[in-house]
Amino acid sequence: MGWRRRSSDSDSSSSTTTSSSDSTTSTSTSSMDGGGMDGGGMGGGMGGACYVYPAAPATPGRVTPNVSYNLGIDMNIPLTMDDGRTVTMWGFADNGGNMMGMGGGGGGMGGGTFPSPAMRVRQGQIVHTNLSVNMMMMHTVHHHGIEPAPHSDGVGHITWDVANGTYTYQWRPSSAGTYFYHCHTNTVLHAEMGMYGALIVDPPEGPGRLYSNGPRYDVEAFWVVDEVDSSWHTLGWTAGTCGGDVGLNELNPDYFVITGVDGSGNSAMNLPPISATVQRGQRLLARYICAGYHPQRIRFGGLTGTVHVSDGRVLPRPIQVTQLRACSGERYDIIFEPTSRGTYLIETDIIHWVTGEVLGTTRTTVTVV
Amino acid sequence: MRRRNFLKISSGALASALTGASSYLLWQPRAHAETISKTFYITHGYITQPDGVNVYFRGFSNSSNSLNVPGDALIVQQGDTVRITVINTLGTDHRFTVQGHGVSTTVRAGEQRTISFTAGNPGTYFYYDSSNAPYNRLVGLHGGLAVMPRFSSNRVYDGSPTFKYQKFWLFHDIDPVWHARIRDRRTPSTRYSPRYFTLNGLSGRPPGAPGAMDPAVDSMVDPRSALHGHIGDRTLMRVMNAGLCQQSVHCHGNHVEWLTDNGKILPDIWSKDCVYLEGNMGRCDLIYPFDYPPDAYPRVSRGAYPMHLHTEMSQTAGGGLYMFGAITDIYFE
Ligand SMILES: [Cu+2]
Ligand SMILES: [Cu+2]
Repeated sequence: MGWRRRSSDSDSSSSTTTSSSDSTTSTSTSSMDGGGMDGGGMGGGMGGACYVYPAAPATPGRVTPNVSYNLGIDMNIPLTMDDGRTVTMWGFADNGGNMMGMGGGGGGMGGGTFPSPAMRVRQGQIVHTNLSVNMMMMHTVHHHGIEPAPHSDGVGHITWDVANGTYTYQWRPSSAGTYFYHCHTNTVLHAEMGMYGALIVDPPEGPGRLYSNGPRYDVEAFWVVDEVDSSWHTLGWTAGTCGGDVGLNELNPDYFVITGVDGSGNSAMNLPPISATVQRGQRLLARYICAGYHPQRIRFGGLTGTVHVSDGRVLPRPIQVTQLRACSGERYDIIFEPTSRGTYLIETDIIHWVTGEVLGTTRTTVTVV
Repeated sequence: MRRRNFLKISSGALASALTGASSYLLWQPRAHAETISKTFYITHGYITQPDGVNVYFRGFSNSSNSLNVPGDALIVQQGDTVRITVINTLGTDHRFTVQGHGVSTTVRAGEQRTISFTAGNPGTYFYYDSSNAPYNRLVGLHGGLAVMPRFSSNRVYDGSPTFKYQKFWLFHDIDPVWHARIRDRRTPSTRYSPRYFTLNGLSGRPPGAPGAMDPAVDSMVDPRSALHGHIGDRTLMRVMNAGLCQQSVHCHGNHVEWLTDNGKILPDIWSKDCVYLEGNMGRCDLIYPFDYPPDAYPRVSRGAYPMHLHTEMSQTAGGGLYMFGAITDIYFE
């Protein structure tokens, strides 16, 4: 289930080699009351927020889910880059911040990872995403590419920003493929700060098939490419919402990350499930997410892949590619069936949205044995 | 609970705004070609941005004392004779160019010109000032032209999927330093730094903001931009980018059908939630199907969703003010 290594993962290899026993159907606790009260969230507090719509009402049409995710908020996730510098990221934390039910801090601090924990569900399951946020700030979960009812879409100005409590997003994915979820409060900042995670919808038959009766795969890789402008990473969660120039029109990235690690050097070169090792005759599924804002171009180092699905929808006819361009929020599910031994360099250029200049490149590998 | 429920109360006002501002919505197919005439006045002035800053623009306007950025969208039919009169009220020379039609004419300061051309292949085109490129276009001299297939009221091109309604989504990004420089008849010399982002000339105003829900101010409810439909009311968006920024057009609620890319009919129609929109006059034609939101449980048929650019810098104004950028809303009614 993991898409990057986290200390809580019981089986880090399950993410590179899937099997039908990788069950995702377990049901965990479905609701919790109230967010933590002692706050401590960074970034100004509610006094400085404008055009936010705090609420955490009951979910219309709520039913018992097949799968639940309990997410809290962590506003202090250190990410150490290859140059030794640590940049503060924000993110969602498993289990409501790890402290729910203990009366303190839940929805405020602790337990988060960058990227946020992956969700992996099956087509047709009813899913609850229970987001707990304390009284000091507001966030939402938008399941990008998933199209639920407006009250489960996580867009503040249409409905509400979750504050001081737990809100349950209820949704039932109709189409298998690769998605992601991210915060949609002051989105320009919160998503850039790292408040996103992968969202995989497997067909009813489970991992190993891209979609129902679609192509099979043996190995899975996760290429979630993003850029970081460290000058944004000292801002508070309300930054800019009341006006004033806080520089959110200019994203000048100085770090380039792939699936949660600095991708510009060697850190992701041999780090499953970013990198992958496949045997000839096996099929590798790469789930590529353009998680940054600037456009990207991903190059497959001499491999030819077949795109079967993009944005969670099966293409009428698959296309063969040696590289792809992508814009912010796009996903491509690419299957490789390599026939020649070797190590192939997978490079993603992050391209300035005005000048077209390559700002940076992330690197990982596919090794064919 | 839905923040924009009260829109329904003002639907009468919106309807009158529709007929006043957007004659193109009254498009009807015809059996015979006609001559379509339109007069544009090249004018200039200042447009107040969401943070209160007044920014200089020039536009292809509807009268000598208005400033329209973008210019009115035009819908014609393939084979029509299009007669455009351009009256240049300014002290600077300009040019009127129609993309894809080999039509371009200089209109000198204080003069006027009339050009006629035959509407060509069905599609979505810019008309714009191609002189002093890209500056005269960036400062506001641009608009959209749709050429409908003959006899068709519901196709983008012959054989295309059908639609019921059509809209232009013309995006723009604005660096006020460049605009001031162009006003002063000098060439911009600074690095381009866009600070405002518009959809059909307007930016978003979230609930509670000054101008929110005013269709003359708020792109979220501007009837040229916002989508309104019942289930099945398939709506074509003719997406155009007058600015320099590459964008990602992201719709909530439904995936869109992606029909064309920069004027080229795509070999297969993909269903996408984000579509790559190139800068510098990138274009695409998209259909929002107004299907039941597929991942809702229980099923819903009413409610609102946003369309926004996922290149999130474009959701700001003046370096902050999230939601005061290029955004509109989609209403399932
Ligand atoms: Cu957030
Ligand atoms: Cu998104």
